Amino acid sequence: MDLKTGLVGRSASENRNTDLIIAGGGPAAISASLYAARYGIDHLVLESYQPGGQAALTAWIENYPGIGRITGGELVSRMKEQAESWGGTFETATATDTRVDGDLIEIKADSTTYMTRFLIIATGAAPAKLGVPGEDRFYGRGVSYCATCDAPFFKGARVMVVGGGDSAVKEGLHLAEFASELTLVHRRDRFRAEPYLAEKLLSCGNCTVLWNSTLRSIEGEDGVESVVLDTPGGETRINLDGVFIYVGRRPATEPFRGLVELNEDGTVRTRDIVHTSNKNVFAAGDVTDNGLRQVVTAVSDGARAASAVFDLLQ
Amino acid sequence: MAMLSDNDASEVRKIFGALVRDVHVKVYTRILECPTCRDTETILKELDQLSERLIVTFLNPETDREEAERDGVDLAPVIIVSDGSNSRVRFLGTPSGYEFSSLLTVIVDTGGEEEPLSAESVAFLDDLEEDLKVQVFVTPTCPHCPSAAVLACRMARYSGKVAAEVIEANEFGELSRRFRVQGVPRTVINGKFFVEGALPEPMVVSALKEGLKEAPSGEKNLMEYIQTD
Repeated sequence: MDLKTGLVGRSASENRNTDLIIAGGGPAAISASLYAARYGIDHLVLESYQPGGQAALTAWIENYPGIGRITGGELVSRMKEQAESWGGTFETATATDTRVDGDLIEIKADSTTYMTRFLIIATGAAPAKLGVPGEDRFYGRGVSYCATCDAPFFKGARVMVVGGGDSAVKEGLHLAEFASELTLVHRRDRFRAEPYLAEKLLSCGNCTVLWNSTLRSIEGEDGVESVVLDTPGGETRINLDGVFIYVGRRPATEPFRGLVELNEDGTVRTRDIVHTSNKNVFAAGDVTDNGLRQVVTAVSDGARAASAVFDLLQ
Repeated sequence: MAMLSDNDASEVRKIFGALVRDVHVKVYTRILECPTCRDTETILKELDQLSERLIVTFLNPETDREEAERDGVDLAPVIIVSDGSNSRVRFLGTPSGYEFSSLLTVIVDTGGEEEPLSAESVAFLDDLEEDLKVQVFVTPTCPHCPSAAVLACRMARYSGKVAAEVIEANEFGELSRRFRVQGVPRTVINGKFFVEGALPEPMVVSALKEGLKEAPSGEKNLMEYIQTD
């Protein structure tokens, strides 16, 4: 039986000074902590209330070398266990504001203030919203951004997935195991997802793809009952029970605005992969503009960032 | 077959090293019409072996009726965690997946040395006048659920005014339907306020403070009380 043994952190309430703060709780942050611990760097990971990041929400990860097929939750649990066994320390707190104070960086997180010499931003990204009527109203009432969490509520139900990237297709396949009918709506005429995943979805028995179509609204009384779509054939209404949205990500960089330069899309502007506009601040994983957003690249960024801090501490 | 692998057991033994006082765990299971009771019993029996500080009692809501009535238990499986003085913190359903991590955390909170809640949360609970029943619906595959579940349990552990119920939504389908659960974690407070997702402790406490002041007549999303700058 799958039993997760990681404890839920305590809400931090004491102000702290340290050499390195790693903000984030996904693979990039965990890898940075593992490397920092092995370099002997005094550090603290400020893990948000959604530990494990997006990787923990992924039903199955099949492209992390050497591991085979594993749930995202299990993979990040193992990573965290490994980092902790080397002395990585995790605290539950969400960074809300940061500023430079002389040679130090001040980080406000919940009701605590941290002072640190170096910061690694590895806060990842949250699912982007579509911004259509009904999306907020029916969140938790049929609208979801987490198939791993909520798929069991849609056993034998009619479900729609919006998006065409890896997440949409991968989570769509997971949902198809529960749903009676799965409709995937994509605004383009082909998937952006890996061809292997795309082919799997196209050959799935209870899956239908609506190409060149966009979701206009989500409707119902007490929960989702139908959606209205713009399709090449005109406006269409489809009756269904759930809508899962995978249309990209919003980088979680708001607390770092002013501390480092951001790109227009909100990602941290980096050079040489992990360096930012502030010499004492590094960035790793999906929060950066490094392109490929995978667990394997996130852990690589985390290691590089910790190594860069180690060099500066010498 | 053992539910906990050797690795799990050694990890849990290490975690239970933090226990400085006894933790009482009551496990209500029954034989009939409870497909998950046996697994729950096995997991708790194995946990019981991993610390002398853990005092696990196995009960049946039908045959141990008096105690079940005192604890307000009429379902199974139900796990109650306490210092032996109350039954305010309970889990409905098998503690598998991320639910196991919530259960372990609550055990450590109960028998550990430090107060896990922040000073602000403690102050809020000290001033609390109204009784709160906090129900958190979860699934074993939801990584965000333990944050929400554990916060409810921490509040109930600290304050006699709060009772927490962590409900495995798949196992308790009828309860989930009654509370219209289609996403987790979903927290329902006194059947009046609800929250979707796991929010930071200070945010939940300050929103709850505002919500209780207003005391709305109908059901209201706690997010509406979150003050933004």
